[in-house]
Amino acid sequence: MSLLDTRERRRTPPTPPPVAARPGLGRRIRAAKWSYLYLAPMAVLLLAFVVYPIFASFGYTFYRWNGIGEPGNYVGLANFRQILSDSIFWGAVEHTFVYAFVLVPVQLLLALALALVLNNPKLKFALFFRTVYFIPVVTSAAVVGVVIQLMLANFGDSAGSLLAKTGMTDGHIDWLGDPHTALAVIIAIGIWHTLGYNLVYFLAGLQTIPAELYEAAKLDGCGPVQSFFRITIPMLRQVGVVIVVLAFIGSFQVFDLVQVLTGGGPYFATEVVNTYIYHLAFGGSAGAAAEPDIGLASAASFLYGLLLIVFSALQVLALRGISRRRTAAGQ
Amino acid sequence: MSTLSQRPRLRTRLSLRRGRRGLLYLALFGGGLVWLYPFLWALGSSLKSTDGFFSGGLNPIPSEFHWSNYSEAWTQADFSKFFVNTVLFATGTVIVTLLATSMAGYVLARTDFPGKKIWLGLVGVTLFLPHGYTIIPVFDLIQRLHLLNTLWSVVIVQSAGGMVFGTFLFMGYFTTIDRGLEDAARVDGANFHQIFWRIMLPLSGPMLATVGLFACINAWNSFFIPLVFTLSRPELHTLSVGMFNFIGQNSTAWTLVCAGSVITLLPIVLIFIVLQRFFINGLAGAVKQ
Repeated sequence: MSLLDTRERRRTPPTPPPVAARPGLGRRIRAAKWSYLYLAPMAVLLLAFVVYPIFASFGYTFYRWNGIGEPGNYVGLANFRQILSDSIFWGAVEHTFVYAFVLVPVQLLLALALALVLNNPKLKFALFFRTVYFIPVVTSAAVVGVVIQLMLANFGDSAGSLLAKTGMTDGHIDWLGDPHTALAVIIAIGIWHTLGYNLVYFLAGLQTIPAELYEAAKLDGCGPVQSFFRITIPMLRQVGVVIVVLAFIGSFQVFDLVQVLTGGGPYFATEVVNTYIYHLAFGGSAGAAAEPDIGLASAASFLYGLLLIVFSALQVLALRGISRRRTAAGQ
Repeated sequence: MSTLSQRPRLRTRLSLRRGRRGLLYLALFGGGLVWLYPFLWALGSSLKSTDGFFSGGLNPIPSEFHWSNYSEAWTQADFSKFFVNTVLFATGTVIVTLLATSMAGYVLARTDFPGKKIWLGLVGVTLFLPHGYTIIPVFDLIQRLHLLNTLWSVVIVQSAGGMVFGTFLFMGYFTTIDRGLEDAARVDGANFHQIFWRIMLPLSGPMLATVGLFACINAWNSFFIPLVFTLSRPELHTLSVGMFNFIGQNSTAWTLVCAGSVITLLPIVLIFIVLQRFFINGLAGAVKQ
């Protein structure tokens, strides 16, 4: 009842003047009490299990701590110093960036090409193909990783011996065991695994382009290639920015696939930042520290977080600059 | 009718002449085969004999069918228990995620309140931060809440991870719903709760399906969270965790591992195929806005 009353009161001035004085903060907060209540479950879960842990783990960066009991051994900035001087950390950063900067362009080009083809209403089985190319997305990297590992193992007519028959190689290739091929194989599997997302995103973007534009272009004598560069690409720009940003965020967080396929090996050749952090925190053969060290792991993830924030800011600025310049040019 | 509206589009898309069309279908089917090959191979290998597995290599077709691999894997690895756990875990995650993200998405899209912009900024920033490593403070928190080694802990932590994406999807969806609808309801005397539960939520069926399916797929495939929070209670393990222990114990019984993989992957792939219309359209809607 009282709720209804307040709303009635708010509604009474039929058309509030555009520059009406805003009511006080206290009153606005009270008026929005149900909004806060509805936001609360999401806010509590996010704050408690995502935001708070990020800050809490920053607290661990000053301790040498194996995760058991309370952190006690205060070491100041020593953890940061150790991480920054660890070549394995920088190797992991490099591998993560190689992963992202190879995977994202290749995958996006593949996805765009596939989306252009599947967007053709004349194409038969379009829904079937869309489903087929999307299926790896809904399967877990962990289980798929095991299956692919078995496929690549040198049993019977393996991929290695098939290549040997064509005379391209001398036989047994240890795809994931060879430091020269392991990262490339992981990138290829990464492209396979998440292509479906970008395919769907591009299809959505293509469907927002009005058909009249293509029609008009055709009347003006534009061929398919020209209308692709003159219409499709510019019209996809906004969606494209979102797709690129999401693809990079996903790639920078790569973990499951690497952990299952190689665990970061051989000889750290596929160690990415998240597996590096994992090995520091929980131990494991490939890690820099044999003993689990939460402090070191937290320091590494804090530094990586900083790096990602800087990179994301640069990315957003660059993309914004590009779209602004294009709009200014009258596109 | 539909052909009329499609015709202008047809002419402008890559024109498909006969020969080129054949090549195109060949490429699409070929690519599709590559895309599905690991699944076909796992399915085939799960039916091979052990010898057949080692000599078969990349050939997915078994020379003889060993259906017993499935019953053997199922009983050896306690898959029936893991299956029930996974279903409970996924269902709980879907319910918590849908409730929390639809409510939050609604108020963020439709109401104005002090602090909204700050909150949205904070939520956006969390997207970029790596948080896989924060498992230690989360573990600590769960322990203090006395929820360790319960399915609740797994549900809560897993749901929390899906909050941002789900909320953004609902936000986008609710902003597209006509405001006149709410105004009309308000004039008829509906209050805040009635507008949300009786009008907005029932209208958001497609987005409920999308976010729900998303939460379900992620929960089903989740490995790290259920592993960490049920470490000392193996009877609470989910399929993917159970699968892994199974591999550890059967490092040579690869045909059984393949059967286990199929058991783990098949339900979620089937759910996806049945509901894929919602999932793909919902995801697409998220990017369009």
